[in-house]
Amino acid sequence: VARLCVCDLLVAECDANCCCDPDCTEADFSLFTTCSVPIVTGDSRLCSQKAAVYSLDVDANPAERIFELIDQVNPSVFCIHSTNYKQLLSFSSPEMPTPENFDQLLKQFGRAAFSAEPEPDSWNSNTDVQNPSDANETYRYEHGAPVQTEDAFLRLPRPVVSSWCSDANPAGFLVNQATKCTRSVSMEKCGSIQAVSMLFYINSSILAKLYEFVFQVNITVQAVVVQSQDGMRTLLNDSDALRLPMILDDLCINIVLGVSYHITYTDAGEIIEAAASFVLGAINKEALSIQQSFEISFTQVNTQPVPLSGNPGYIVGLPIRAGFLPQGYPFPAEMSLQHNTNKHGQLTILQSTSSQDCLAAQGARAPVLFGYNMISGCTLRITAATKCQPLTQTLLDLLKGQNFPEYVASFGNSQAQDVLDWVPIIHLHTSEQVKSSCQIPVSLEIEVKWTKYGSLVNPQARILNVTATIATTTLQQLPSGRERTFPVTSSVVFTDISSPAEPGYKAWPTINAKLPFDFFFPFV
Amino acid sequence: SSQLSSVPLQMLFYINGIYYIFYFLASLALIIYKSQVFSYPDDFLAPDLASLLIMAGFEVLRLYLGSKGNLTEEQAPLGLSLVTTLGSVVFSVYFLVWQTHVLKADVILNTVLLCAYGLEAVLKVTAIAAFVS
Repeated sequence: VARLCVCDLLVAECDANCCCDPDCTEADFSLFTTCSVPIVTGDSRLCSQKAAVYSLDVDANPAERIFELIDQVNPSVFCIHSTNYKQLLSFSSPEMPTPENFDQLLKQFGRAAFSAEPEPDSWNSNTDVQNPSDANETYRYEHGAPVQTEDAFLRLPRPVVSSWCSDANPAGFLVNQATKCTRSVSMEKCGSIQAVSMLFYINSSILAKLYEFVFQVNITVQAVVVQSQDGMRTLLNDSDALRLPMILDDLCINIVLGVSYHITYTDAGEIIEAAASFVLGAINKEALSIQQSFEISFTQVNTQPVPLSGNPGYIVGLPIRAGFLPQGYPFPAEMSLQHNTNKHGQLTILQSTSSQDCLAAQGARAPVLFGYNMISGCTLRITAATKCQPLTQTLLDLLKGQNFPEYVASFGNSQAQDVLDWVPIIHLHTSEQVKSSCQIPVSLEIEVKWTKYGSLVNPQARILNVTATIATTTLQQLPSGRERTFPVTSSVVFTDISSPAEPGYKAWPTINAKLPFDFFFPFV
Repeated sequence: SSQLSSVPLQMLFYINGIYYIFYFLASLALIIYKSQVFSYPDDFLAPDLASLLIMAGFEVLRLYLGSKGNLTEEQAPLGLSLVTTLGSVVFSVYFLVWQTHVLKADVILNTVLLCAYGLEAVLKVTAIAAFVS
């Protein structure tokens, strides 16, 4: 006990007010005011034990530390005189692995979790891959299992350590991935680099079920897009022909720049369809490397995948789901929200571009992501010749976009059938007082009010209210020949209107004691 | 007729009987206390309880044989009682030293019991010597 010191935290330095610190000198002790650790003892339930007592003698000048090693006696009759059970008083140190006991220790502790009783059987059951005796059991793909092909795995090249592509990465079942990596190419080896030819990616067929070579699914080519040297992409009409790299006009064409796999699976864990879309490009003599991008996505058969923005609460950074109600709403039979899965029905705001001219950047919109306050804008130049009404319409189109939705999902996983889960967008107009002259909209502010919903430990974000405010200003008539520029802004603000959480307490239990009805039998 | 039975021995048997009842109940209570307050796994608790019960059996046998031998002035039961005392001593030492948790109360109880055994053994030997001669 004399060597134990709980407050000695700094190595080779004196801790303040730590009387047991061996790094402290006499001068340091004289500066202390009190001892933070007055006594160090072992377990106080022992009948007799050593105790190290530290105290400061403040009367002496300078203050001194007094250290005593005393025998502390527990006067109780129930004090522990001795014990033959070693774990009672101290933690037992674990066994050191040696070549003899390594296997037994691995069996007992080699899993992610273990209990006091070792289970020697469960360690081997999951990793038993080759098991031909299990003929009746069908193996199905589970989440994360590598998608097998007839010779190896479905490859999804990705960068490892550096940005160069490594082909040894298998695609995991139900793991949607998108990767980009660099591949070294050269004009001379145009036809011979396997990894830039379409054949490499659709060559082997995928096994429908794990370890069963009977059912195989061929990878079909779904679409081929050709990318030209300046970046323009065109979709080819016939996607059946296999295009292999070849040299044409000083360029090596049909080089694979991107592959996108779409795998369709059933809920029994079987793969029934596989399709690949390619982006082909061309390289010239000077090119030494190209960047390839790979993507894989899994869709369940007979479903339309709708990307959720949270389950159930919105996750920060995911787009807000919005949609429209079809005509004839009040009739419950037709009630459903047309949910647009493409980008055009989403809640979007104007996206600022490098050229700040509003009219030049038509159509560039950014999706509104939950939790991210955004502001964007552009400048509009008007001349004397601009008319009020077309300008108003142009600005409204610019601010709101083509399909400004009417309803926003209150939860990240709201279904289109539950109309009550969707919040209408409220439109407000603020304008200056003068009503007669032309009012043009100059800013759109979308305010999304959200609240925390659900339990205290795992609150979910829920959108309660969405308000789109359009502010207008007067367009003053310009004298001819002059022109004016003014800014047009749009912004999105997320406000947390959750009320502070109040803990709820359970009611006191009531004693429900009633006498049986015939308790006073002879008298009642 | 001189009486060969040893009166102190008989008194000691009587006191021992009463004390042993107290010792048994106290030891049982202590084991229950220990199992609540300390960590007392089952494979340590079982030998301690079994020893206490066997010791109770030994004690009954021992006191009966000794008392009978002393009163009827026969050395055979008395000798048997002496041998059984040895067994009881071993058990008492077990409870004093090799028990799982030894509290101060355990030490006191067993020390008194061992002193009683020692005194009884001496008196038994003198009684046997008196009966033989």
